[in-house]
Amino acid sequence: MSKPSTAKADLELMEHADGETEDAGVAARLERDPDARAKVESIQEIGELVRGHLELSADAMHDARFAAMWRRIDDQLEAPATGLWSRVTRWFDRYRGHVITGAVSAGAVAALALILRPSMPDPGRYGAGNTVIDVRPVALRATPEIDSLDTPGGTGTVINLDDDEDGHTTVIWVTPADTVEGI
Amino acid sequence: MNKAGQRASIPTHGGDPVDDRELVLAAQRGDRDAFKTLFERYHRRAYALALGVVRHPDDAMDVVQDAFIKAHRYLDKFEGNSSFYTWLYRIVMNLAIDHLRKHRRANPVELDETRLDSDGDEPLLPRILGGNPGRALVDKQIRGRIDQALDELSENHRAVLVMRELEGLSYEDMAQAMSCSKGTIMSRLFHARRNMQKRLIDLIDHPSPELVADLLGGQAGDPEDTPANDEAPRERVPAARSRR
Repeated sequence: MSKPSTAKADLELMEHADGETEDAGVAARLERDPDARAKVESIQEIGELVRGHLELSADAMHDARFAAMWRRIDDQLEAPATGLWSRVTRWFDRYRGHVITGAVSAGAVAALALILRPSMPDPGRYGAGNTVIDVRPVALRATPEIDSLDTPGGTGTVINLDDDEDGHTTVIWVTPADTVEGI
Repeated sequence: MNKAGQRASIPTHGGDPVDDRELVLAAQRGDRDAFKTLFERYHRRAYALALGVVRHPDDAMDVVQDAFIKAHRYLDKFEGNSSFYTWLYRIVMNLAIDHLRKHRRANPVELDETRLDSDGDEPLLPRILGGNPGRALVDKQIRGRIDQALDELSENHRAVLVMRELEGLSYEDMAQAMSCSKGTIMSRLFHARRNMQKRLIDLIDHPSPELVADLLGGQAGDPEDTPANDEAPRERVPAARSRR
């Protein structure tokens, strides 16, 4: 009595039936197992039924329907391209992907260059209304000195930081009085 | 020969058989008659393929029409590395699958199609109609049941089954056509065939007297010699339609 088959074993039978494998083990199974042979025949039979059914269905479609289809197709066929512009158009059609890829890449590079270029100061556009404030960057050559710190309604702290590498830094820390706990 | 089986060597241009390649070259130069000849050669075969996938005759006609228009539009890209029909059926198949995606309805549940579980999946059934399937196709009941069974398959299972049975595509070719792995194709095909078996099984187990007579070629049906009988001889009469 043959061993009960599994879907996986039957998959091998199917591969064999479809000519996808010539595994000797499958051939041996087919030799000794009538069920396996019946399964292969069943696969072939389903194929013949499906193929035959679809071909008969196609045969049943009237010739007039296909004649009408050809007329519609013929109406839509493009005229053969002969002129220069047509050749250019066909060339573009053929290489559309490459052309578009190149154009998009070039556009992306240009956009990136615009974004990353060094920004120039636009003087006089920081004021409210019509007031023009001339703002210019100033390079300080000397350490600023703070003579006095007036912070009404709060507290102020001046912190001077000296660093060998970064130089001198002054931090002014102002805290409103109502947020300071304990005062 | 059936109409859908008109495959090659159709006399054209004064009675000389013209090769597909010559027709394609002529069509690429703008010869509409050459393209019409290609249409006449392959429209029914393309229709059978589209019908198998989309299932509705009018939809299948639309798919075939669009396929020939597209084929003509891109004819200059056809370099002749494969046969014209191989190129055409890929267009038909792509359009048919696109059509299914656009008009997707509630689909039958699709079982795991990426792998087969050796314990969970049912094996194939070792039963066949026997006799001559070509003759069995004369039976309206069988044709109706095949139609129904195809309708009930999931779209992917049906597409794979049709490609395999109608065009004889290899697993690898089907995997390329459907953009999936070869293992997925094998699993889909296995499930499709087993589902077809399950849907046709009562015809096998309880064939009508007319079917038995058809299968036996009109001979008087001996109850001991029915196709359902497991002891019946397995020899198969060659099918009415030979495989291409």
